[in-house]
Amino acid sequence: MNGLLNSGNVLFIAAFVIQLSALIPVAFIRSERKFFLTSNIILLIGLVIGLISTLSSSLFSSSQLINDTLLFDNWIRLDGLGLFFLFIIQLVAIPTTIFNFSYLQHYIDQERPIKSFVISYTVLLVSTQFIVIANQAILFLVSWEVMSMSAYLGMILEREKEEVHKGSFYYLVASHVIVFVIYIFFFLLHHQTNSWFLSDYHVSLTLRNTLPILFILSFIGFGIKAGFMPFHFWLPQAHPIAPTVLSAFLSGVIIKTGIYGILRTFQFLNPIPEWCGWVVLVISILSAIFGVWYALAQHDIKRLLAYHSVENIGIIGIGIGIGFIGSANKIPALEVLGFGGALLHTLNHAIFKSLLFLGSGVISNNLGTRNIELMGGIVHRAKYLAIFFLIGSVAISGIPPFNGFVSEFIIYNGFFQAAKELKNYYPFIMLIFVVGLAFVGGLAVACFTKINSIIFLGTERKEIKHFHTSVYDYISLGILSLLCIAIGFYPRIFIGIVNKVIGSGFVSADSSALIGMNWLSLTLIFSAILLSAVVLYFVKVKIQKKYGRRTSATWGCGYENITPRMQYTASSFADELNIIPKTILVYHKKVEISKGAFPKQTAFESHSQDFVDNKIVLPLYGFLKKIISKIEFLSQTDIRYYIGFILIIITVYGIIAFLWK
Amino acid sequence: MENVLSILFCLSLFYVSISSRVKGYVTVLQLQGLLLSVIIVIPFIYDFSIFGIILPVTLLVVKVFLIPKYIKKIILDLDIKRMIEPTIQQFTFLLLVIVSMVVIFVVSNILSQRTELNVIPFASGFSAIVIGIYIIMFRKKLIVHVAGFLILENGIFLFGTAVASELPMMIELGILLDVFVVVFLMGIALNNISSTLKGFDVTALGRLKD
Repeated sequence: MNGLLNSGNVLFIAAFVIQLSALIPVAFIRSERKFFLTSNIILLIGLVIGLISTLSSSLFSSSQLINDTLLFDNWIRLDGLGLFFLFIIQLVAIPTTIFNFSYLQHYIDQERPIKSFVISYTVLLVSTQFIVIANQAILFLVSWEVMSMSAYLGMILEREKEEVHKGSFYYLVASHVIVFVIYIFFFLLHHQTNSWFLSDYHVSLTLRNTLPILFILSFIGFGIKAGFMPFHFWLPQAHPIAPTVLSAFLSGVIIKTGIYGILRTFQFLNPIPEWCGWVVLVISILSAIFGVWYALAQHDIKRLLAYHSVENIGIIGIGIGIGFIGSANKIPALEVLGFGGALLHTLNHAIFKSLLFLGSGVISNNLGTRNIELMGGIVHRAKYLAIFFLIGSVAISGIPPFNGFVSEFIIYNGFFQAAKELKNYYPFIMLIFVVGLAFVGGLAVACFTKINSIIFLGTERKEIKHFHTSVYDYISLGILSLLCIAIGFYPRIFIGIVNKVIGSGFVSADSSALIGMNWLSLTLIFSAILLSAVVLYFVKVKIQKKYGRRTSATWGCGYENITPRMQYTASSFADELNIIPKTILVYHKKVEISKGAFPKQTAFESHSQDFVDNKIVLPLYGFLKKIISKIEFLSQTDIRYYIGFILIIITVYGIIAFLWK
Repeated sequence: MENVLSILFCLSLFYVSISSRVKGYVTVLQLQGLLLSVIIVIPFIYDFSIFGIILPVTLLVVKVFLIPKYIKKIILDLDIKRMIEPTIQQFTFLLLVIVSMVVIFVVSNILSQRTELNVIPFASGFSAIVIGIYIIMFRKKLIVHVAGFLILENGIFLFGTAVASELPMMIELGILLDVFVVVFLMGIALNNISSTLKGFDVTALGRLKD
């Protein structure tokens, strides 16, 4: 308990207490509106205090290393990795909680009881923060389970809908599998090291024959949570059906706990063999490519964003893979670039993905649909929403000058570094990966061009009576956009933090590969881009003043009687790209063109299903169901059968006990 | 003396396994209650104590008067048919009971060579437990299930007196209270079920699940 009560720790503990006390109004205030406002304000205060305590910790101080603080008899550990993820969670939780003010108001107006949602949201936030600071395996597992279950309970807010049943069931099954796998993982670790504390877990050099098992267990368990490609199937099912606040938090933060778990595993198993790096790298590049490709084929905006999470987790995974390879070959520069890119991309993805999810929530709430094909012309209704969404889109596509570019830039540098340092056949393989990553970037640009143009431009495909946006929406979206811009324009400070996190606990030797890059020139180039954009804007205004501005219907092309149905659609936009990997996307399209001199009606439809879900998971499920149905006769409605079963079992036990010597 | 009473107890079990009327079950329950009270009271004839007498007296009141009277009242109130509606033939049931009893007596005899126990009360109690379960398994009527449950419970009592280290009195009293409450609750449940569903078959209860 030494040093427990210094100012930083008091603030830290207070933050948790205040966040949990947000549950108190739920019990005492009857009015839905009042209790929700009070508890949300308390939660917000708690989060802000938590963020302040994190900011005042050694993560942001000028010291070179991060203190490894152990509190409460080693049960809580504040080290570099934990603090970094804590920072991400709190940073994203604040805007989503602000967003809650307007979002839940929408449900109160529908007279839907939101008590359970407020409770589960609060518990979810607190338990997620606990995961990254827990130093005791059981505490970790309990927090993990509480996090999974509270997310599930929040997810079923609109439980009367059929799709909610299906999606939340996927989530529930996936989280049970995860818990099962990581239980085995931690028990094996305990068996090896005879300790329950995470800080003691170092698989010693003599006992390395279990390392492959441990690594694979961890990668499956945490990989399902993170959503790497063969294990991603639950993600596009669960994220769309959750309430917007929750799907933003799920996609932005909760899947990052999987990344946290994989990075912790690296600390346990260090030094890691090189094949682990290759496994992570290959799976990640596949996740990235097919994640974005699936995204391109979707019509549901939230599902599309969920597939983009798969893509971005893939990009983070690529960074981790490079780091592993660097660690196995003892090249500090590679480790720093790999892990640095991964960590920075984790932060970036948390920011822009929650920005996009919250933005899509505003749109789908107002339109009552998530189908992109029914949206259009929203820029005329909500200009700033369009701008914020555009910032998020540009950032996620990795286009300068926003934050997505910075982290992907580091990862690209990692590839080049690997090609430079490791001779032999490495340059060739790295070249393939670089091309793959560039391809991902290209597809992401295509995908976000598709959503931005279809949703915001053109005319309204479905009539919008009243487009309501509140000030809270803009505050939360604004904070996130500002962060996107800040990290993009001045990455130096965040790079410093990431470098510090990696320096304390990841790299074998110090390296200036990350911090030594010329980040100032990046800032200057970005500023130049911004400046030229501003100049161009003024030129445009000036030209407009001089020659006037002509307006006509979108896609008009001289045709008079244009209707909204004549606009270019999202499906046709993506069709050309989607027919390439037809089998993997399970992409079907139906084109009906009537022939003749006066064609009457033509129709075009396209569908895509998830390969893993449809070709692997569901058949497996069907197979298991078949086996289980063989013993279904044991499940009777009549109590007399059960009593009979009890008698049989007792007799069997009795005989065994009787014959036992 | 204990052995004779235990054998009488066993005979009552035979009677109950061929009885086809609900009333027969109630009579057997009364008889068994009486037998149990006497079995428990025997040690106190030589060594009288006021505390020791509490259990047999309560047993007598509850098992011989209260519960049978309550069951009879339920039968009258709800107009339950007098037949018990077995699912297997009475003869088969009797055969099953006899076979089980033989096995139990043989096993108890073997067991008694290893540990110290009173063979006949032990085996009788054991048989009552098993036959109570059989009655629940092979009879349709809920009220008969209650009777089967009570027979099972009587068996536990007898069992308790037979093992060398006796159950503390408090536990036995606790069991007694437990049983009384359960029977009471089942009566209430029966009352409610009769207003919702016609007939008192457990098969009808299967339809209640969602």
